[in-house]
Amino acid sequence: MKETLHISNNQKINAFLLFFIVTATQIGVGIHGFQRVIYQDAKQDAWISVILSFLLAHIVVYIMMKTLDMYDSNDLYGIHIDIFGKYLGNFLNILYIFYCSSAFFVIVKNYTEVINTWVFPYLSSMFLCLSILSIIIYTFKGGFRVIIGICFFSFFFLLWIPPILIIPLKYSDLNYLLPILDNELKGILKGVMSMSFTIVGFEIINFVYPFLKNKTKYKRYVHLGMLFTLFLYLSIMFVSLTFFSGEQLMKTIWATLTLFGFIRLPFIERIEIITICLWMIIILPNLCLYMWAAYRGVQRMVNISVNKFLLIFSSIMFVSGIFINKRTDINLLNDWFGKYAFAVVFIYPFILFLCALLKRQIKKMQVSNSEKS
Amino acid sequence: MFNKKKKEKQKKQQNDQQKKEAKKESKKEPISSNRYEFLQSLKEKLHSPSDLIIRYVSPTTTVIYVDNLVDISLLNEQVLKEVQNAKQGATPQDIHTNLKLPEVDVMDELNKTILEMLIGACIIHIEGFSEVVIAKISSIQSRGLSAPENESQVIGSQVGFNESIATNISLVRRYITNPDLCNEKFTLGHQTNTSLSLLYIHGIATEEQVNTVRQRITDLDIADIIDSAVLEGLIDDNSLSLFPQMLLTERPDRFCDGLLSGKVGILVNGSSMAILGPQSFIEFFQSREDQNLRWSIASFVRLLRFIAIFISIYLTPIYVATLTFHYEVIPQPLLVPLNESRAIVPFPPIIEALLLEIIIELLREAGAKLPTKVGQTIGIVGGIVIGTAAVQAGITSNILIIIVALGALSSFTTPNYMMGNAIRIIRFPIIILAGFWGYFGIMLAVCFIFTHLLRQTTLGAPYLAPFYPPRWKDWPDSIIRLPSTFLSRQGINNRNPQGNNQGENEGNNQKSEKKVTE
Repeated sequence: MKETLHISNNQKINAFLLFFIVTATQIGVGIHGFQRVIYQDAKQDAWISVILSFLLAHIVVYIMMKTLDMYDSNDLYGIHIDIFGKYLGNFLNILYIFYCSSAFFVIVKNYTEVINTWVFPYLSSMFLCLSILSIIIYTFKGGFRVIIGICFFSFFFLLWIPPILIIPLKYSDLNYLLPILDNELKGILKGVMSMSFTIVGFEIINFVYPFLKNKTKYKRYVHLGMLFTLFLYLSIMFVSLTFFSGEQLMKTIWATLTLFGFIRLPFIERIEIITICLWMIIILPNLCLYMWAAYRGVQRMVNISVNKFLLIFSSIMFVSGIFINKRTDINLLNDWFGKYAFAVVFIYPFILFLCALLKRQIKKMQVSNSEKS
Repeated sequence: MFNKKKKEKQKKQQNDQQKKEAKKESKKEPISSNRYEFLQSLKEKLHSPSDLIIRYVSPTTTVIYVDNLVDISLLNEQVLKEVQNAKQGATPQDIHTNLKLPEVDVMDELNKTILEMLIGACIIHIEGFSEVVIAKISSIQSRGLSAPENESQVIGSQVGFNESIATNISLVRRYITNPDLCNEKFTLGHQTNTSLSLLYIHGIATEEQVNTVRQRITDLDIADIIDSAVLEGLIDDNSLSLFPQMLLTERPDRFCDGLLSGKVGILVNGSSMAILGPQSFIEFFQSREDQNLRWSIASFVRLLRFIAIFISIYLTPIYVATLTFHYEVIPQPLLVPLNESRAIVPFPPIIEALLLEIIIELLREAGAKLPTKVGQTIGIVGGIVIGTAAVQAGITSNILIIIVALGALSSFTTPNYMMGNAIRIIRFPIIILAGFWGYFGIMLAVCFIFTHLLRQTTLGAPYLAPFYPPRWKDWPDSIIRLPSTFLSRQGINNRNPQGNNQGENEGNNQKSEKKVTE
């Protein structure tokens, strides 16, 4: 279809970087405490929910990429306008920008809460928010390539997690997993839905797509990236399910961090404190990419300079951050965002794909009609 | 938006330059055919210095030169002899053809003549002609070649650049006997008229990067250049950054190695340091010597250096952060000795650490500024005396002394002085951040440094090159060094097929490159 985005060659990135982008965006604050939420619904079969949710995600991402492939080089915002026209398309764009901004907000809030609970109980969350925002702004101003660079490096800060999980395995009991499939299917499916907060992030390919150099072979990297996150989530889920008893897991908000707390190395104890601080570089690409996606959308609608956007965006984030601080509020926020994300990321792509197909069919018919006449 | 401003600036500069050139041309002054008038104008221009020597050889001919700039024996044997033997009524052209010297010129423009004379030419003026003969017989005073003092290496050549550009170019040409070695001359600075040479190997260096350097040099509008380090600061990509983006080296072998891997080099007259670019971050931590060693040893040394960077940047901040906020991280067996040594220290860790770091920096600075013999003594005496005394007086803890000394030691392993400086300075803000916000502060610094390095470019190429953008084929020669069958001669940053730096046709490049090299 006609409308395309023109991106200069030196802005484009190699397709294999998608692997790092997908892992970087998927792994964020959710990993700290996704076990409890899923355990509530799926009990000891939570790991099945994880696998199922990834299965669903692979299907969704496949549909997303199919939709993107219909257009030469365009992002979701452009596709919206092409399919739904100016008004409805812009409305959907606003919804998506809102989604990106709320993802940003949720990540910042969750991270500051973790820091406040585990490391610095009295450090003002306003300061934390401000310092994180300043780093993000500095990265953002470097441009798209710098953001992707941070994605790339943050990946290597994750690699220590799987080997270190071997240590708690010593204390784990496989019997906690049994009996398998003891719960109703409904519970497991509900667990899949609760997983959406943790698993989202891959929808960023909707906006990265036009920046890819080689658009023929990019799909495998997206799937590979998701497989890596599946491996990471699954291994953490497995270890936590066998390490904690069900009662314990229900009461632990940040099961992953508690798990890390048991690990003792000869020269370091309580590595969860280091982990939490280290997590900053892991959420940094998340935040930057969501902000960037929001910026691309805003830029399409109104002519706005980067500085102005940054100022408005970060002040909104900062001010709204002042009002939400309590654990219950954040829990509500997470639940609400999880549902919103489920709708936007898991359901909406199918609708969009159908609409795009219809649109193409109609166009074809129009063309053939005009040829006949 | 930023680019636009830059462009406007460039345009302005171009306009200014054109104006200046126009002015220069209008100022073109002819040489008077009258001897008295010529000498008068010459003296006026030079403000009649005491070392201007005017010799009236015959009623019509005059020989003029600046004392100490010319080679006296050549002057006696060639110039004066020839001029005295010349027939009556010989034209400047006659003398030009008769002089048995390699470089002789005839000029009719006063300002250029004066410049030539200041470089070391002898001027022969003949009454009745508005042209002068210029015999270039300059004698260059320079120290002999000696071993490079700042970049020493055990295995490898022991010769360094000196202050004369002619000697330096000849050194480079001896290393690389190749018709493709290009040498472009520039003159910079309206006060000093320093000459500098742009060196690169045609066909290996990327055309785009050569153009960039050339453009940046010609765009410069400055009064003086005394050293190449100043020039480096002026032409690199981001002079506000803490990290150097071009290499300064005094080793001809390192310089030639750079040229052969496709870099662009600059030699500045009067400076024993050559500039080499583009230089990515990782290359600052590689020494020429690594190539002379067996691959396994070279890999070990490189790994050691990277551990050293980590230690020198983060060890003190980690100590400060841990002891201020996160003591639960320390295992109990380690906690006891730490506590014992810190028991009588009255300061918080951040003050303690800053104090000791500043003492180390003072020692280093004092050692660097003093003459070698005294410097060593001061280092030992100061280090031992202050160190032991500080611990005994209870100002600092033993363990911190070990950590700070380790950090200082590690920062010396960086093979490049400029990068070593950057690493040494960057520690201080991180210590302060760690003292205020613990590990969170350190992590803020890590994120900031990563982003900062990602944002930098060196001659337009990415600064973190083989890592990001990831170029797997260059990884064997980055933190480690694999045997040469795994390596490609040229870093991808300086790979030819122009412009396309991380191109799709990377595979093709590699094949053609292997033929070119080795």
